[in-house]
Amino acid sequence: MTAPSAEPMFSTPRYATVPNRRPALYRVLVAQDAALATTLLDHLAPTLLLSLGGELSAAVEHEQLPSSEALYLRLHALLDQAQAGTCVQAIGDEVFVWQVHRVARQAGLLGDEIELFRQGARRRLYCVHCTRLQEIGAETESSCSHCGVRLLVREHFSQRLGAYMGVCIDPDRPFATVVQP
Amino acid sequence: MSALLEVQVAAVRQLTPVVREFTFAAVNGRLPGFSSGSHVQVVLPLAERTLRNAYSLLGDPRDSGVYRIAVRLQEASRGGSRYLHEQVQVGDRLQIGVPSNLFPLHSLARHHILVAGGIGITPFMAYLAELEAQGASFELHYAYRSGLTDAYTAELQARLGARFHGYDAAAGQRLDCANLLTGKPLGSHLYICGPQRLLDDLRARAAALGWSAGRLHWEAFAAPEPGLPFTAELTRSGQRIAVAGDHSLLEALEAAGVEVPNLCRGGVCGQCATGYLGGEVEHRDHYLDEQQRSHVLMPCVSRGGCSGPLLLDL
Repeated sequence: MTAPSAEPMFSTPRYATVPNRRPALYRVLVAQDAALATTLLDHLAPTLLLSLGGELSAAVEHEQLPSSEALYLRLHALLDQAQAGTCVQAIGDEVFVWQVHRVARQAGLLGDEIELFRQGARRRLYCVHCTRLQEIGAETESSCSHCGVRLLVREHFSQRLGAYMGVCIDPDRPFATVVQP
Repeated sequence: MSALLEVQVAAVRQLTPVVREFTFAAVNGRLPGFSSGSHVQVVLPLAERTLRNAYSLLGDPRDSGVYRIAVRLQEASRGGSRYLHEQVQVGDRLQIGVPSNLFPLHSLARHHILVAGGIGITPFMAYLAELEAQGASFELHYAYRSGLTDAYTAELQARLGARFHGYDAAAGQRLDCANLLTGKPLGSHLYICGPQRLLDDLRARAAALGWSAGRLHWEAFAAPEPGLPFTAELTRSGQRIAVAGDHSLLEALEAAGVEVPNLCRGGVCGQCATGYLGGEVEHRDHYLDEQQRSHVLMPCVSRGGCSGPLLLDL
């Protein structure tokens, strides 16, 4: 079990608050809600904004996609044709920004060419017992929605899965406590 | 340095007026395998002192039956390259270190851009074997001077076709660093082996284009620059060692029987980092940050001052 400590674990993600000012050839800003991107636009104008909707007053080339899946596919296609010197910024909840991170890494971006800004509490949990993923909020305990085991949400985070590790909270009950419908 | 290997010079080829290639075979057993980008230290027993120079392995890593190195005769040589050029003959025995790699290929790269200046072509000879075997996407840019430092140009041109880009200084051709980095695919990685000026220029251009520093990889072997003589004191034993102007601190320590782990002997790898407790230090490495420099130095290149002894934590 993880005792609460002042220092976060090494793997616990740290999120950017202010965009870095490194030069870039091409800057893609990916926002869950375009309205959230306003604060970032004050710093450095992106070449292109991809979002799932929302209003934005600034004059930036803006593509709205109807679903997360459509957005990830669009980003993938965009990065597939991109040149070295491209950077990606993502703003949204942890489920969203880590999906963007995954697409960007797969396209060949390096870790320091991607900046993540967290907005919202939704996050992913990985059940180490049944190896499946689910979405949770800020809670530190949860029941696995697949295998039913009561889980402790650890601070330990997998960048590859974009998820926190969930481990059985009670060693005397390594099985479902609630029968799943 | 760990165990030394005994090798015999199996072949010598003069590639250009200043570049000579040596093939080493094992005297006993087999030579250890190596990965592309590896180098070995070659022990050079000069009359007045023993030098250990690092040279990249040229051959195909899948064939480690022999090792090959190519050596450029340095005008301002401390004697190492001159010894290899003028003394070493086929059949001679030499001692070398085991291969180590400070310049490996980046396994996640989608496209490899290799940039060589002169004798800096050597690590890429091993890279090419590896990249061709993988079927990887790559291009080679090679700046040389024909009739002087153009080792392997004909072979490379025939072997690589359009992936080979040569720049002959004798014909006034210049490697254009800005142009070289423009329009490269997202997963590109850049490998540089050549003079400091080439490295500095490419690093600046890449940063301006927004490339992460993680996309750049380089290797710069340079013999330690001479300096003024100074004295080092080993505080644990009280031993005092005089370091001559044309010796590095590392060499002086080795001559006194003090073994310090080391790999590159050029101030880049960090292996020989040694603590010091006092004295003036002239830091010449490319490894330590300012904070570390307050108490650590790299004896392969850095030197003490003449105001008093350099107090080493040894």
